[in-house]
Amino acid sequence: MNEEPLQYHINMRTGAVGRYVLLPGDPGRVPLIASFFDEAKEVTHNREHRTFTGMVDSVKVSVTSTGIGGPSTAIAVEELARIGADTFIRVGTSGLMQPDRMNNGDLVVVSGAVRDEGTASHYMPMAFPAVADLDVVDCLRLACAERGIGYHVGLSHSKDSFYGEVEPDRMPLADELKGRWRAWVQGGVLCSEMEAAALFVLSSVLGKRAGGIMVAVNAEHPGLENLCETAVYGLRKLIARDKEEKIS
Amino acid sequence: MTQKTRNQGVMYHIGCRRGDVGRYVLLPGDPARVPMIASYLDDAEEVAYNREYRTFTGTLLGEKVSVTSTGMGCPSTAIAVEELAKIGANTFIRVGTSGKMQDFMEPGDLVIAWAAIRDEYTSQQYEPLAFPAVADHDVTLALRQAARGSGLRHHVGICQSKDSFYGQHEPERMPVARHLQDRWSAWVQGGALASEMEASTIFVVSRVLGCRAGGIMIFGGTHNDLSNLLATAVAGVKLLIEWDNNDTG
Repeated sequence: MNEEPLQYHINMRTGAVGRYVLLPGDPGRVPLIASFFDEAKEVTHNREHRTFTGMVDSVKVSVTSTGIGGPSTAIAVEELARIGADTFIRVGTSGLMQPDRMNNGDLVVVSGAVRDEGTASHYMPMAFPAVADLDVVDCLRLACAERGIGYHVGLSHSKDSFYGEVEPDRMPLADELKGRWRAWVQGGVLCSEMEAAALFVLSSVLGKRAGGIMVAVNAEHPGLENLCETAVYGLRKLIARDKEEKIS
Repeated sequence: MTQKTRNQGVMYHIGCRRGDVGRYVLLPGDPARVPMIASYLDDAEEVAYNREYRTFTGTLLGEKVSVTSTGMGCPSTAIAVEELAKIGANTFIRVGTSGKMQDFMEPGDLVIAWAAIRDEYTSQQYEPLAFPAVADHDVTLALRQAARGSGLRHHVGICQSKDSFYGQHEPERMPVARHLQDRWSAWVQGGALASEMEASTIFVVSRVLGCRAGGIMIFGGTHNDLSNLLATAVAGVKLLIEWDNNDTG
């Protein structure tokens, strides 16, 4: 019998994951997110890609870590899509960019991302927008609103260099980095992270849905419980909406 | 009226001053469509007409709403958005016609522009190309709900905003033909639905100004199609006004 081969990096084949996949960066956070699923079990852990699969409202869902950055994220999303995933929600931490109107620990529902990275350009010219799916955004937003927590809907900044953002002064391109950062802030960008842009552009190309929810931090880290629980609550709303639309 | 008082506070290109327009402004390209859209408002009157910028103001649900034509293309559109924002507008909805980019689209289909391809230069004088041209989610949700209520075929997604109309329609005669054709096939593969000439700049400039923006387009240009488009756009603005009133109330 010819069994379907395992995907090269995520180390899984069809059946191992659900249609819905949450995507944190850190393999260490996969069990925490999976703790909000029913019957969650670890499926595999290869390189930075660790996967748990369980159930939410009797629907199979998964959580897979992407590793840091667009390159490993694109690998994870390509391979997950090949084995049946069609809805991706990034869940992660980010740097807070609008201190005048945001509080440390506020959640950000990401509707679009600044493509300050290289991976998405292997799929689409830079003019193409990194935009999330409207229903995913709407469900995550409603989850935040119902839970009564501080949240914002808007843009994130996806960069390739972590230290280029947090220590721009020591970089040879300091002036350029700081000039661009000012432009993003003035454009109302809410938070800075490293994966959303590649995820969104790739999802558009593959015809899949994507979104993201981030905790924005500029002081003491508020912990991830609230973020992860809200993300799963948003996923629950999306699952309900999908069921409704299938019936109607 | 003396020359001085007549010009005081009047915006250089659109010819309007504070008080002339509402917070909500519908933005068609064509000045000839302004009175058509205004006919869906209550008590609409023409307030200015200078160059390609024609403005009518009326009300919806008692709230002041305006319609201003942008002219074709992003350069004149950015001027309109800048000047409208200076005199108090903060919610912009592009209403227009577009070319189809996917085979599944039929004449008369509505496209709600949730994001736009920045295949133009104006918005690059505001933000580097990496910055995404994304509409406001509330405006987009309101337009989608209005489209659902209309019973018309509609799609939500990405549109392409270009600077050259004939570069899209007759790419083979352009010196950069191959470049135009390659990019077009990339946009189609990325799922882009409709091609037009203003949305990306409206979205990017609105982000920079802290305003909200969205867009609704139609593929096909019969008179009937246009009436469907305009009625749906106006229904979307009404929904948005209701939501905004609930938020503050």
